[in-house]
Amino acid sequence: MTEPLLQIQQVSKSYYHKTGWFRGRRTLALEPISFALQAGETLAIMGETGSGKSTLAKIIAGVEVPSSGQVLLRGEVLEPHNYRQRCKHIRMIFQDSLRSLNLQTSIGQQLLEPLRFNTALDPQEQQQKVIATLRQVGLLPEHFNFYPHMLSSGQQQRVCIARAIILEPQIIVADEAFVALDPSIRAQIINLILDLQEDMGISFIFISHSAEIVKHVADKILIMHHGKLVEFGTTEALLSNPQQQLTKLLLGVE
Amino acid sequence: MNILDIRNLTIEIDGDNGPIRLVDKLSLQIAEGEIHTLVGESGSGKSLLAKAILGFINPRWRVTADRLWWRHYDLLALNPEQRRVVTGRDMAMIFQNPGSYLDPNASIGAQLQECIPSGDLKGLYLRRRADRKTRAERLLHRVGIKDHDAVMQAYPFELSDGVAQKVSIAMAIAHNPKLLIADEPTTAMEPQTRSQIYRLLSKLNASQGMSVLMITQDLTAIMPETKRISMVYCGQLMEVGTPQQLLEQPLHPYTEAMLSMSLANHNTPVKTRLPTLGGSIPTMANLPIGCRLGPRCQHARRACIDTPRLRKLKQHQFACHYPLIEVKNYD
Repeated sequence: MTEPLLQIQQVSKSYYHKTGWFRGRRTLALEPISFALQAGETLAIMGETGSGKSTLAKIIAGVEVPSSGQVLLRGEVLEPHNYRQRCKHIRMIFQDSLRSLNLQTSIGQQLLEPLRFNTALDPQEQQQKVIATLRQVGLLPEHFNFYPHMLSSGQQQRVCIARAIILEPQIIVADEAFVALDPSIRAQIINLILDLQEDMGISFIFISHSAEIVKHVADKILIMHHGKLVEFGTTEALLSNPQQQLTKLLLGVE
Repeated sequence: MNILDIRNLTIEIDGDNGPIRLVDKLSLQIAEGEIHTLVGESGSGKSLLAKAILGFINPRWRVTADRLWWRHYDLLALNPEQRRVVTGRDMAMIFQNPGSYLDPNASIGAQLQECIPSGDLKGLYLRRRADRKTRAERLLHRVGIKDHDAVMQAYPFELSDGVAQKVSIAMAIAHNPKLLIADEPTTAMEPQTRSQIYRLLSKLNASQGMSVLMITQDLTAIMPETKRISMVYCGQLMEVGTPQQLLEQPLHPYTEAMLSMSLANHNTPVKTRLPTLGGSIPTMANLPIGCRLGPRCQHARRACIDTPRLRKLKQHQFACHYPLIEVKNYD
């Protein structure tokens, strides 16, 4: 058995609310959770609203700091707040592509930025890398000088994917990245993600409540409910032999 | 008997190079008590059509139609005030993202009571106030919210998506409309919440004979009670028929493409590439001439630079020069 790519060890998250001058209450958004993911695998996280699935994705991507536990990448602990270490390996795609892009800078500049901070490439090579990445996600070199509002929603989502893969990460976390897209564009984006996974061997972690997409794309499924891990297993196992009522409901299995 | 009858509705705006047709000769008939689903991707003009029916018209648009009749009123011949009376009495609309279109500064109870028509209330000042409140509570019960006190005191940010959409349906049905236009009410909602909203709408449809015009993006996530589906692409009508006709034997390449790229209907092997329509949806500024699906259509030939006429085959209408199966005897 090879060493897993990503290990989540007893990660939890709690928030503190003040209820009086001296009193407070702790709510647990995510109970201690552990699982492992192999390289090149796709993990789907499913659950109802408020089940802590977004919190888990944000902790993996480093947007939020876990209250306890740790995230290990190839056996190496990922420190919270150490974005330089983390951003080369784990990148995130958000639901609303237009809102996650900077409207005031061109696409090219936005893609150059991660290269400038994280690689030792000279400007010439950075430029070439950006253009190669644009081609990889099905855009043209001319889009370098475009601004986000000049693109359609599908192209904007492609720019977000380009920004995620430009540092050649090992894991991409996508939070509801397919919901806001039109059906024909959504099929194109799913194809693109499958292609990229084949070419680059990236692991995907994505949150979705569409059972069809999950069945089609995911290798493993993680079901969450009220901050707890309810069921975790391979897609075939969960589809053929679901243990929990919630799993059946979410995956639409009779 | 059709309560809404639209023939060749066209909406134009002035662009840099002449007028742009946002909606191109769209026809739509809704019978009394029917659930009609309008399916189209973004930019297909489906929301514009809803706005044209209700009369939310931007002064920059030029709305023309051979016929735009609501029951026995010709909506285009009425002046704005008369039209507002008619549409305000008989129609209502619900939107996508209910949480964001409710007033964030007012409690749900206050907003709901405001929607109740004053003419229906009985009694004098204090009686009227009490009556208004009980009517609001009854509305919430009708949309399936049992805990009316908690919801009436809540503010929109405190409600979940499903409850907020139910509240907006309650507001829409406050004056017993004859037609409810639902503009993507369940996009970006979880499947469970979506089926709850669908069940509620079909219940209202059955119990009160309220017609529903459901606008949605996804052909595979339509209401089960839908009587007829209209497929729209870039402001042109592609195909109209019953769900059975469209889902089992589509005649238009667009309908077929929409079905084949969804994962719900057939068993594509896991992780294979999905069939897609190439390219992206054209922007309003550079729409193709003729059939607007042309540049993305696999079956497109030379004749497609002329806009195809809407042809009819046993209540199944389609606008394509080269339908998917050989069709004879249409008119």
